Amino acid sequence: MTRAFFPAPPDHVPAELIHDFDFFSVPPGEGDPTEIWHDLVRSGVPSKFYTPRNGGHWVFLDYDDIVEAYRDYSIFSNHQASMPPMEHWPTLQPVGFDPPEHNVFRRLLAPMFTPKAVRDITDELRRRSAVLIDGFAAKGSCDFIPEYAEKFPTSSFLYLFGMPEERLDDFLTLANAFFRTSDPKVKGEAVNSIFAEIDAFFREKQKNPGNDIASTIVTARDADGNPHSWQDMLNCGFLLFVAGLDTVTNTMAYIWRHLATTPASRAYFRDRLDDPDGFLRAIEELMRINAVSNIVRRVKDDCEFRGVQLRRNDRVALPNTVANRDPRTFRDPETINLDREVNVHVTFGVGPHRCVGSHLAKREIMVSLQEWLKRIPDFELVPDQGQATAFGGSVMGFRSLKLQWPAG
Amino acid sequence: MKVHVNLNVCQGHARCEDICPEVFGTDAVEGKCVIHQPDVPPELEDKARLAVRNCPEGALRISSR
Ligand code: HEM
Ligand code: SF4
Repeated sequence: MTRAFFPAPPDHVPAELIHDFDFFSVPPGEGDPTEIWHDLVRSGVPSKFYTPRNGGHWVFLDYDDIVEAYRDYSIFSNHQASMPPMEHWPTLQPVGFDPPEHNVFRRLLAPMFTPKAVRDITDELRRRSAVLIDGFAAKGSCDFIPEYAEKFPTSSFLYLFGMPEERLDDFLTLANAFFRTSDPKVKGEAVNSIFAEIDAFFREKQKNPGNDIASTIVTARDADGNPHSWQDMLNCGFLLFVAGLDTVTNTMAYIWRHLATTPASRAYFRDRLDDPDGFLRAIEELMRINAVSNIVRRVKDDCEFRGVQLRRNDRVALPNTVANRDPRTFRDPETINLDREVNVHVTFGVGPHRCVGSHLAKREIMVSLQEWLKRIPDFELVPDQGQATAFGGSVMGFRSLKLQWPAG
Repeated sequence: MKVHVNLNVCQGHARCEDICPEVFGTDAVEGKCVIHQPDVPPELEDKARLAVRNCPEGALRISSR
C-alpha cells in the first residue's frame, strides 16, 4: 500500500552517505542530549547524510544548508512533515502549511507576539514569576523543572490565552501527559484531552470574547469576512500549546544548569540586573548554545540539492544546535561568550516559520532570570542528581534538575 | 551612512531593534523591521553596523549615501 506523504525506501542514496543515527535515543548516563549531535559532527560524518532510523531521513549539518532548507519552501515543505511519518496527524496552524496558505494564521498570530505586545505584558509575567520563586526560595532547594521551568511557561500561556490562573494544575497535568510519554496510546489520549479543553474554552470565548489570544482566534475573519474553520482554529490553539511550553521549559533547564555550574556567568548576569541591553545580549548567547529543537521538513519533489539526490517525501532533520556551532559562521563556536557581538543563531528557526513566539520566549527567560537572581543570587547543583533523565527527539532536555542554595 | 531593509526577506527576529533601538524598531502588526532613522547619525554608526551584522535573515543593508 502506498501512503501519501510517506517516504520511499532509500535506493537513491549512495552507501557512503548512509549512517546509522537515531536522534530520539540518548545513551543511558548521558546528561546532555545535545551531545549526541556534537559527537556525531566530531565523528566526521558527511555534512548531508541519510539514516534509516525513525522512518528514514536525511540530516543536514552545515549552517548554510540548514538555513537554506528553512527558507526554500519550494523544495522543503512543512506540510505533513511529521517524524517519524504518521497518519492522522492534524495539520497544525500555521506551522503545517507552506506560504502562501501559511500566511493566513501567521498574520492572525503575529500582532499578539510582536516585541511591543510582549513588552506590554512584562509586568504580569514578572508577577507570576515572582510568585513561583517566592514559593520555594526560603527552602534552599528545588527541583527546578517541575517546580519552576514547567510551571512558569504554562502559567504565562494561561494568562495570554485568557484562562483563569486556577487552571494551572489541570494544564500541567495535561502538558505532562503529552510531553512526558513516548507511548503512542498515552500520547494519543493526551492529544484528545488537550483538543477537548481547547474546544470547550474556544466555545466559551465565542460567547464572551475578551482581550486574549483565544478570543482573537475565534473572532477573526478570513478575507471573505467569514470565521475560520473551527478545526483550523483548534489546530492553531493546539500548536500554541505544544510549541510554547516544552521548548521554554527545556531551554530554561539548560540555562539554569549552566548557571548552577558557572559562577562567572551568574556574576555576569547579577552585575547587569540594571542593564537590559547587556542582559539581553548574554541571553542571546545562551540561546545559541542551548538550542533545544530539531526541526523536520518533507521534500516536495524529486530534486538535487547541493550535491545530494533527494526524493519526494524524504524527511530532512535540521538540528539547530549543530548549525549554531558551525565554525564557518561563529567565531570560536564552542566557547560560551556572553559578550559575543555577532550572533546569528537559528534557535528559533529562520525564514517564513521563524518562531512567532521568540520574543515571548526570550522575555519569559529574561524575567525569570532577573526575578530569580534577585532572590537567589547564588545556587549550585545538588551533588546527587539521581538517575539521568535526558531525552532526545524534536525537543531535547531533561526531566529533573535539583538545585540548592543557602536557605534564608 | 544609510541603512535599508528588504521587507520580503525580514522575518521579524527583532535583533536589529534589540541592538540599536535608536535606528531600528518593529511594527505592531507583523513585527517586521521599521527604520526610524535611515540616515544614521555618526555616533550611532557602529551600533547600527552591529545590528545589520546580527540580522539572521540578511535583510539589512548599508550604503554610504
Ligand atoms: C525557547 C523557546 C522556543 C524555541 C526554541 C522555539 C523554537 C521554534 C522553532 C525552531 C520554530 C520553527 C519551526 C519550523 O520552522 O518548522 C518555531 C515555530 C513556532 N513557535 Fe516557537 N519556540 C520557542 C518558544 C515558543 C513560544 C513561547 C511560543 C508561543 C506560544 C511559540 C510558538 C511557535 C509557533 C506558533 C511557531 C510556528 C510559526 C509558523 O509556522 O509560522 N514558540 N519555534
Ligand atoms: S533582525 Fe533582520 S529579520 Fe529581524 S527584524 Fe531586524 S531586519 Fe527583520
